[in-house]
Amino acid sequence: MKIHRIKKGLDIPLVGAPEPIVADGPLAECITLYPNEFEGLKPRPLVKPGDTVRRGSILFYSKKLEALKFRSPAAGTVKEVVFGHRRALEKIVIRVSGADEVEPLPRFAAGQIAGLSREAVLALLLDTGYLAHLKQRPFSRVPDPKARPKSIFVNAMNTAPFQPEAGVVVRGHEAAFQAGLDALTALTSGRVYLCLPGGRPDLPPALAGAKNAEIHFFEGPHPAGNSSVHLHHIDPIRPNDVVWTVKAVDLVQIGRLLLDGAMPPDRVIALGGPGVLDGERRYCRTRLGSPLEGLLKDKLAAGEQRIVAGDILAGVQVGVDSSLRFQDSALCVLPEGRERHFMGWIVPGWSTFSQSRSFLSTWLRRRATWALDTNRHGSPRAMVLTGLYDRFVPMRIMTDYLVRAVLAHDIDEAVKLGLLETDPEDFALCAFACPSKMDLVGIIRRGLAEVEREGI
Amino acid sequence: MKFLEQMIEKMRPLFAPGRPLHLFHAVFEATDSFLLTPPDVTDGPPHVRDALDIKRTMTFVVIALIPCTLFGIFNAGYMHNTVNQVPGAGFLQHLLQGLRLVLPIILVSYAAGGFWEVLFATIRKHEINEGFLVTGLLFPLILPPTIPLWQVAVGISFGTVIGKEIFGGTGFNVLNPALTARAFLYFAYPAQISGDRVWASVTDWAGVADGFTGATSLAVAKAAPAGANIVEFLRQSGFSLKSMVMGLEPGSIGETSAIAVTLGLLILVLTGIGSWRIIAGGVLGTAMSVTLLNVLPEPLRLAKPILQLPFYYDLVMGGIFFGIVFMATDPVSAAATPAGKWIYGFSIGALTIVIRTFNPAYPAGNMLAILFCNVMAPLVDHMVVQVHIRHRARYLARMNHG
Repeated sequence: MKIHRIKKGLDIPLVGAPEPIVADGPLAECITLYPNEFEGLKPRPLVKPGDTVRRGSILFYSKKLEALKFRSPAAGTVKEVVFGHRRALEKIVIRVSGADEVEPLPRFAAGQIAGLSREAVLALLLDTGYLAHLKQRPFSRVPDPKARPKSIFVNAMNTAPFQPEAGVVVRGHEAAFQAGLDALTALTSGRVYLCLPGGRPDLPPALAGAKNAEIHFFEGPHPAGNSSVHLHHIDPIRPNDVVWTVKAVDLVQIGRLLLDGAMPPDRVIALGGPGVLDGERRYCRTRLGSPLEGLLKDKLAAGEQRIVAGDILAGVQVGVDSSLRFQDSALCVLPEGRERHFMGWIVPGWSTFSQSRSFLSTWLRRRATWALDTNRHGSPRAMVLTGLYDRFVPMRIMTDYLVRAVLAHDIDEAVKLGLLETDPEDFALCAFACPSKMDLVGIIRRGLAEVEREGI
Repeated sequence: MKFLEQMIEKMRPLFAPGRPLHLFHAVFEATDSFLLTPPDVTDGPPHVRDALDIKRTMTFVVIALIPCTLFGIFNAGYMHNTVNQVPGAGFLQHLLQGLRLVLPIILVSYAAGGFWEVLFATIRKHEINEGFLVTGLLFPLILPPTIPLWQVAVGISFGTVIGKEIFGGTGFNVLNPALTARAFLYFAYPAQISGDRVWASVTDWAGVADGFTGATSLAVAKAAPAGANIVEFLRQSGFSLKSMVMGLEPGSIGETSAIAVTLGLLILVLTGIGSWRIIAGGVLGTAMSVTLLNVLPEPLRLAKPILQLPFYYDLVMGGIFFGIVFMATDPVSAAATPAGKWIYGFSIGALTIVIRTFNPAYPAGNMLAILFCNVMAPLVDHMVVQVHIRHRARYLARMNHG
């Protein structure tokens, strides 16, 4: 057990965090899966409209990695298989039937899991698609089953705004969480690290007392909860190293799969943000693929709202007509801020939040909380201020120079400056603070893609 | 606000491509975003953005320059009225006279600089950069109050076009544009920007007050005869430490008062807009190099009395303090790494002292020191980044085998 104290970063004082209550979401009539949400997998369908499927029937597989199959989270009939541009599989819609018929999968007793072989665990993860709950660093891809990760990091803390707390998602699934951890030990010859929030006496024993993992506590502001930060301070990635990461909320699903011998019928997502009505911001137990319309019905504030899957710093905007994706564990709703204000460049700044000290609010309203909207607060400009980004990156990384190296397509330099240790999400906070309104997340994403394409 | 918004929206179509006023759309955009914050929403992660933008950042530099500007205006009028022995002149007369002298310089600087900025924004089809708000004010403040207005226009044009726009505008320039403009004037028209007679507005040199030569404190210190007690010599010429801190003396418009510069420094550092590392490095560089000169062998110091000057004198004489606070901290032309900022600031302080002490040709070395360090900043950063890369490699190796 070790405590890491992170100093750099910022917790934006926001209104809209979900209350730690898990409520049951509405039962959806139809669910939609998006096979194309995993980049580079080339999904191919194994069902056609009209087919009857059980919970656990295979729906599609990956052409790139044929052992990787994805299964239905519900029993019913296939309503639609939609192909998009160049006949890429876009979505599969399933009409859920009342009868919950289950496709049986291998089932393990809790004590048995730690003794499983790497092959057995990998086979199950591939066969259910749950391997995609893990991410391979660098590049944050679906893991390559042939790769031997030097360690596996379990992220049971997320410091980004409105994200599910591990303590809440593990509640009721304590055994599943431990089962997931046990299974991970088989996948690596190195260690399994469990990263927990420091200074939290309310942490459930299932987390603080977890076995078969080395526990590390991280204290400090966001991004102290990002996996990149954990990796950097515990077992940093060198070129050609491979590390796998997994979020606690997803590890619970893996554990449930192992213990129940069936695809888990539901998962927990956090619903937060200033665009959600008071009292409706909470955790929601729902089925993968549930339409957002049902989930958010009667819960949104008036006015134009933006729905973000993931967190409001690094997540992606999704339409209200879309459905819950495999990788989503949080939905945030933000009001669109198209309102214009008089001479914003000179006002004292009593009623706006800023990390900079050029606003009155920074000096006199330190305890205030803010309901931020999507206004950009300015127009994009060239990089002017220097050294600002580094205040938000608690790693040995000179962000200004990393960004410049990526912009200049100087891959060698970017790798030397630590590009492989990062994920685009690590720069979302810098981008939030950037007065030039630069697209740092996109820049780093393109940089990582370039390294992946050209090789290290 | 609704009324204003409606009015702007009514005018917007006139500036659309193909419409009669499209040529001026950059001006329209600038006015639009000057009056009302843009309605744009974020177009990807992060979905929320901080309220600080470049417009406000630059505005705060301008705000930080206000004490120097106001004091400079007053000082120009005060010097004019005092030296020309204008009868009955008081605070108000000084201020009005100062405005008469300085305001045209500022206006010409903004007009000429703004013209180029707008022209380039229109041709390059980008928004007008706020950087020129700073450059347009910085430049007049480092000029003598007697500068001919046409030189102001020529200088700022050179600084804006050659110093900034040809590189791509704010954010891409190598040199500080205001200093580039001044350096251009300095080498092209030395008569109006050097010597003893340009630093105060004098109508008739025959009728000036007794003993007034127009020389700046720095020029006096440099001209001290061998063997003189330098502090005493300065005092006899009318420059005590107190008067130089106050700044009611001949000099460039905005540079003379250490108090006004300190106010600006506080605004820049407290708001976090200016780099305290550069400023601290600059002051440290000045103090350490002067102190080093102070301990040179005595015969040397007697032959060149300026070597005896304590560092706090050096700091309040000439443009060094103003330069360190407002010119060196221009983030685009300065070093960008934390360690680089210290080195860069320190070099500016030290180099200024070397030039002003040992070079008889340039009275104040700050302008050239900063320009030189602007050029050197990328090299300093490169070295810092190389060291950083080595540290990173060592860290990764240690963590993976420890």
